[in-house]
Order: sequence, then structure tokens, then C-alpha cells
Amino acid sequence: MIVRTDRLTKRYTRFTALDACTLEVRRGEIFGLLGPNGAGKTTLLRLLLGFIRPTAGSAHVAGCDCEHDSLGVRRRTAYLPGEARLFRRMNGHGVLDFFSRLRPACRRDTAARVADRLGLDCTRQVGRMSTGMRQKLALAVVLATEAELVILDEPTANLDPTARAEVLDLVTEARAAGRTVIFSSHVLSEVETACDRVVILRAGRLVHEQSIEHLRRSHRISARLAGPFEGVPEALAAHVSLAEHRDDRVVLEAADSLPRLLGWLATLPLEEMQVEPVGLGAVYDRFHRGSNDAHGTI
Amino acid sequence: MWNTAIWRRAWGDQRALVLSLTALWGAFPWIYLWLSAQITMSAFQDVLLRAIPQEWQKLSGVPFAEVATPAGRVALAFVDPVIVLAATVWGITRGSDAVSGQLERGTMEMVLASPIRRTAVFVTQALAATGGAALLCGVLLVSVWTAVASGPWADRVEPARFVPAVANVFGLMVCLGGIASLVSAADSHRWRTIGIMCGFYVLSILAKLVGRLSTTFSWVGALSVLEVYEPQRLVGGGAEAWWLLARYDGVLLGIGIAAYVAGAVIFARRDLPAPL
Repeated sequence: MIVRTDRLTKRYTRFTALDACTLEVRRGEIFGLLGPNGAGKTTLLRLLLGFIRPTAGSAHVAGCDCEHDSLGVRRRTAYLPGEARLFRRMNGHGVLDFFSRLRPACRRDTAARVADRLGLDCTRQVGRMSTGMRQKLALAVVLATEAELVILDEPTANLDPTARAEVLDLVTEARAAGRTVIFSSHVLSEVETACDRVVILRAGRLVHEQSIEHLRRSHRISARLAGPFEGVPEALAAHVSLAEHRDDRVVLEAADSLPRLLGWLATLPLEEMQVEPVGLGAVYDRFHRGSNDAHGTI
Repeated sequence: MWNTAIWRRAWGDQRALVLSLTALWGAFPWIYLWLSAQITMSAFQDVLLRAIPQEWQKLSGVPFAEVATPAGRVALAFVDPVIVLAATVWGITRGSDAVSGQLERGTMEMVLASPIRRTAVFVTQALAATGGAALLCGVLLVSVWTAVASGPWADRVEPARFVPAVANVFGLMVCLGGIASLVSAADSHRWRTIGIMCGFYVLSILAKLVGRLSTTFSWVGALSVLEVYEPQRLVGGGAEAWWLLARYDGVLLGIGIAAYVAGAVIFARRDLPAPL
């Protein structure tokens, strides 16, 4: 594990920004952080980097304590803030020079190459760049750093579709190079495309952990009942669950491959049956559409 | 404790202020001396001195008779708003930018995400600000020296007499820079840091005035850092001027360095809020 948090908590006078968050990030994976604004994603990232101190609990990155050895953490980490702001008087080249001098792991030529891939004109002064261009410049700095862990807080915000796709490619390349990426985003499709595993935060609490590989195998089966439904047989309980049963509508979620269920489904009095992949959106909606406390926390 | 990249960026940040104050302080002594030399004091010096209430003498810190001498008249340049306010502006702007300015702009975020100690960022910036102050005081000294040496009182005033006065200006810049950095280290908004510093400065002026004018509240003067900014007292020459400078700058530099140290400790330990 490259990241390990244990009941990590950050409490301010009036509210709890992060509440007893326990998670682990494996080496070499792309780990997604999901949640609406104020869910605690950025607080978690800032605690990992030692920008803020935990009220309770602990966090470790590559064996370094985030509170007491944040320098060790930052030696092993590259971080893109949610809204990267750079020195307005410098031009793009100046910014790349500055950060390559500031951190030896940031290679100047690699940064220039990443900037080029993102279609950035580095001769322009930062103060005259658009928000998207500044984001690209910050991404060039962060993705050129040969750090074990790359933390990206909303990396594709403000970017055009071409640059978004390029960023996702760069993230995937980072994983292929053996690096670990923590990817915080509101864009579910990107998270689903890029990540290996995601966690969902709500009001400072970690409420769900989801493997994307598992999600890709999962299907949602909705149908109208033309007769009595007696529930999921015990023999299949590990593979399918009843998500909804209201009047003559039934929704089942298959957590595994479908062929195993087809025989059983054929015996059911189902009409107008629809089978669709579950998708991250459906999982996210369980926790963030209306108040749904039934799912509790993991 | 030191970082070359931060040092270079800090100089880049303060370059415009250094250049403008260099132009101001390079030209001001020449203009000041030329204007002062236009007034022939000897003709109405005694009348003038008798006309000024003796109570006011307390404000000048030195007898009016000394002020009326060529050396005294040059020394008044050091308490002119052009010098005092420029020194104050330097201390407050550089100090307030140290932490809260960069937090407010959001530029601190990516710097501190790099493997660099917060104390290294703070100390390097403090050294750059102090280096800038030293450079500006060097400009001021050269300008005063050359203006005096080539001016109308060249044969009556020794330029070296003004070295302690310039050193006193340097002390004020370091002191205000340190205090502003301390406030900045604990704050997240530059406008608030500047507001606090302006309030502090106004209170210091008032405390100095009350201390000077009131016999009952003379102790209030000791609460003002400006009590030890008296460059006009340091132009007498000799060992006495240097001893007085050691006392004045001892206090100013002591407060400045203590404030920088306290600021570094606060900055190293505080939570850094996400930029708004």
C-alpha cells in the first residue's frame, strides 16, 4: 500500500470536514475520489500532503507520516491543486524552469514535452493565459515529476475535450510506468474510464468503495412482473441482489457475469425486461441523490 | 533553510519595487539638498528659532539650533516622508507578501507541494527582503554621499556622518518587514495583513507623539518602534553617534529578527487553507 489512512479526521470549530476516514491505496493503481463539493475530497488530499493537521487519526504515504514527515511525503508526491494558480508575471517557460529547479524530480525537458502534448504555448505570460491554459501548465509541471504518487485534484476542469483525453492518456501512462495516481474528479465518465478503484465521500464520510473492474461486470436488470416474485434464491444471492421491488416493477443488480443468471431469469414471470451496465453514475446516485442513509458507511 | 529557486523568484517579485525605490532614493537626496541650499538660513535663523514654541523641540528630538546647521538640514532628509514612507512601504509590502499574500493569490499551494520546508520558503524570502533593504540603503548612502560631497556644503559637512543615519533606515526596514512577515505568517488575507500593519504604524506614531509631548505619559513613547528611529540624532559624528546607532538598531533589528523567527515558527505549524 502506498497510502494508508486510519480514522483520519479533520474537525473545524463548526463542522467536520473529514470524519474517521480509513482507506488504502495500492501501488500502481489509479484511485478515484468521488463526492460533491464539500464532501471532504480536498481536505483528504491536503491532509495527505501535510498542508493541514488531522484532528484525529493518522495517514501515511510510502511509509512517511503525513503529519510529522510531510517533507518525506512531498518528496514522493506530485500534487495538482483543484485550482492551480501560478506566478502571473512569469511566462510558461519561466514556470517550468522554476519548478524544475524547486524539485529535482521534475524534469524540465519532460515538462516541456507534456506542455507540448497538451498544446500549450509556453511563451505566453501566465497572467495572459486562460484558465484552461494555466491548468495545462500546472499539469505539465505535475506530470513531469517522477514521483511515486501523483495526486490530481480535478485535473480536467476547464480543459477542452482534446486536452481532457490527453490528460487521461498521461494518467494511464503514469500507471504503466509504475506510478500511483489519486484522481479526484466530478466527471464520472472520466473516473470510470481511468480509475481502477473509487471511493465515494459524502459529508466528510467515506460511504462506498467500488472496484471499476467489478462495476464493468455488473448489470442492472429491470422488468415488469407478470406474476408473483419470490425473491432471489439463496444459491444466487452472491451474484444478484434485489435493488427495488415496487408494485409490479422489479430491479435486480447482477454483481457478476450474466450467463450464470440467465437460466433463473428465464423461469421468472418477467415482461419488458431491460439489461444495462450499472455504471458509476448509478452507484454515485445511490449516495448523492436525495437522502439515502440506508447504505450507511463501509 | 535556503532555496535558490525561491530566492530568485523573491527577487523577481520585488524587482519592480526595488527599481522604483532605487530611482526615488537615488534622486531624492540630490533634489533635497538643492532645495535646502536655496534657503539661506543665516539671515533669519535666530528669528525663526525664537518663533518656534520650545515644546515643539521635543518632537524633533534634537535642539533646533542643531537642525539649522548644514549637517542638521541634510539629516532632516531622513525623517522626510519620502524616506520614512518608502522604508515603511518596503517593510509592509514585502512582509505582507511573505505568506498571506501568496496564500491569497494561491501561488503558495504548488510551491509547498514541492519537497521544500516551509521554514526554507519563509527564511529565503526574509533574506531576499533584507537583501533588498540593504541594497536600497546602499543606494541611499551613495546618493547622500555624492550629493553632499558635490553640493554647496561640501566643505562644511563630512558625508561619512550620514552612515549611521542610513543604517537606522535599514533597521526600520528590517523591523517593519519582520513584524509584517509575522502577521502575514498567521493570516490568510494580504489586505488584512496590510490593514493590521497600517494600524500598528499609526499607533506607533501616536505613541511616539504622546511620549514626546506628555510628561505624564512619557512612558507611552517606549511602546513605539519609531522611538528608536531617530536618524537626525545620528549625524553628530564620533563614537557617540555609533553607540546611539547600536542602541537604536539593536532594538529595531532585534524586534525584526525576533518577529521573523516567530513568523517562521507560526508558518511551519499552521494549517494552510485552500485558496478561495
